[in-house]
Amino acid sequence: MHAIRRPGVGRQGARPVVILADDDEAITSNLAPFLERAGLTVHVASDGQAVLEQVERLDPDGCVLDVLMPRLDGREVLRRLRADGHWLPVVLLTQVGESAERAIALDEGADDYLNKPFDPHELLARLRAVMRRARPGRRPLSASPALRAGSLRMDRISRRAWLRDTELVLTPKAMLLLDYLLTHPDELMTRDRLLEVLWGFDFPVGTRAVDNRIAELRRALGDDPMRPEWIATVPGQGYRFMASVDEVL
Amino acid sequence: MRRLAPGPLVWLLAPLLAGTALGVVLQVTEPETRLYAAVSPGLLAGIAGLLGTLVFAAVTLIRRRAAAATAVAVRAAVAEAAADRLRFLMRLDHELKNPLTAIRAGLANIEQAEALAMTRTPADAALASVSAQANRITQLVGDLRKLADLETQEIEKAHVDLPSLLKEVQEAIGAIPGTSERVLRVSVPQAPWPLPSIEGDPDLLFIALQNLVANAVKFSAPRDTVEVRASEDGNWLLLEVADTGSGIPEDEIGTVWQELARGRAARSLPGTGIGLALVRVIVTRHGGQVAIRSRDGQGTVVSIRLPVPGRAGTAPAVSDPRHHGDLRGTAPF
Repeated sequence: MHAIRRPGVGRQGARPVVILADDDEAITSNLAPFLERAGLTVHVASDGQAVLEQVERLDPDGCVLDVLMPRLDGREVLRRLRADGHWLPVVLLTQVGESAERAIALDEGADDYLNKPFDPHELLARLRAVMRRARPGRRPLSASPALRAGSLRMDRISRRAWLRDTELVLTPKAMLLLDYLLTHPDELMTRDRLLEVLWGFDFPVGTRAVDNRIAELRRALGDDPMRPEWIATVPGQGYRFMASVDEVL
Repeated sequence: MRRLAPGPLVWLLAPLLAGTALGVVLQVTEPETRLYAAVSPGLLAGIAGLLGTLVFAAVTLIRRRAAAATAVAVRAAVAEAAADRLRFLMRLDHELKNPLTAIRAGLANIEQAEALAMTRTPADAALASVSAQANRITQLVGDLRKLADLETQEIEKAHVDLPSLLKEVQEAIGAIPGTSERVLRVSVPQAPWPLPSIEGDPDLLFIALQNLVANAVKFSAPRDTVEVRASEDGNWLLLEVADTGSGIPEDEIGTVWQELARGRAARSLPGTGIGLALVRVIVTRHGGQVAIRSRDGQGTVVSIRLPVPGRAGTAPAVSDPRHHGDLRGTAPF
């Protein structure tokens, strides 16, 4: 089992240590200095095997993991890390935007994911968010097979959810949205980000699609938008899942 | 193939000829057989008819099999071409993604270094311009990705309430600059009965309709008319978006459904040339059809046919009279 340690504790300074794994040198040579200047200590890995070695050696606070890499691909690296009990937060850099792949990325326990070509500032924001949310030595919500928030329960493997004893009837997209909200509680979710979750790309028009799915979730949860218990509207910005979430053991 | 296809005359002649042939054969065989034949002309006619029908059935069967094989081969070729195009889109997308990621990271690096050093250089304008262009390519790559995704992604089959969908489209269009200067009409019939409901992904159908109406606004001028019409046509739901705008030149009509197709008139306007290709993919993935008619300088009408669930899905005959000078472009399937 992996040693329990608070991030940044017992290191020189308080700079979080992250691994940046991508086999494209053009990307790492540009991204690493950007992340360094933003206050992180960055170690570059150019293949999957190197990531596993560095995680053992450095005990990092976070990892940016590209999916397509030689020797071991990012997905396999993530599987092995989780199987070995390494719960460090991981942002997966996906190549394909299909929803099926995003669902798999969630099932495999990535804390978040980003489609290439991403905005480097967005990567930094996501990386900081997953490190802030990390529960040292404990499995992240995104790697948990079942979650509970008050009277709401979700089996993430079978993609089913119950409110008290009643099973929720949701469209697949609303279920995906609920999954994302439950695994990212108390985080401001912009409509654009939720669109990307639902579709894997930004929509050609507006964000009505997100509002409709949120309305569907609220109906299913019996949530009053004016006095929300589950999903709060952040005016002009997006939504926030309000209830505290824990894994079902 | 046609030579193998017997007409009605052959239908009649085949049993007669077969009967005659059988008669001749019988005449040269044993006296006993001749006796049977003489006693029972009905039996003889029956055998002859059966033989003739068998020959005819065999010919018809061979012909149908050959025609079916040709149709299968054509469908396979079309599917293979579509798959090739999809593979190309995926490869292009894949090959562009990494360099673009690196370019954006490099630009963020330069901006960050400048911000930290609190310096401003004469190259700032150039940097901003390069940044904007990198974002533009990112947008284009994303759009191509969308198309490829939509061609393979599973399409949701939810109940779609068309009148409310059209209302949402109308509201969304109202936000586009210039719409208030067009005469916008949306007609949804209520009599003799309301429109049949359809199945599909309401978000995608919204995008398709929104794109078409936005196009109509984009390629028309203040005081032009934009009409959105819904109607029922046999087993299909027909949606039309028409405008009295600039129309499409004859030599461009055939390519409007292709990815990145940008007409001469569109070059001065923003856009990536992905809109109509997206509409085509969305509609065909819903089992529907798209078509466009336009007259240069007079206007354009784009029609979408979507199958009504529970009804036999045969394409109705094109009922629109083809006006002189009308240009049509039907999307390839």
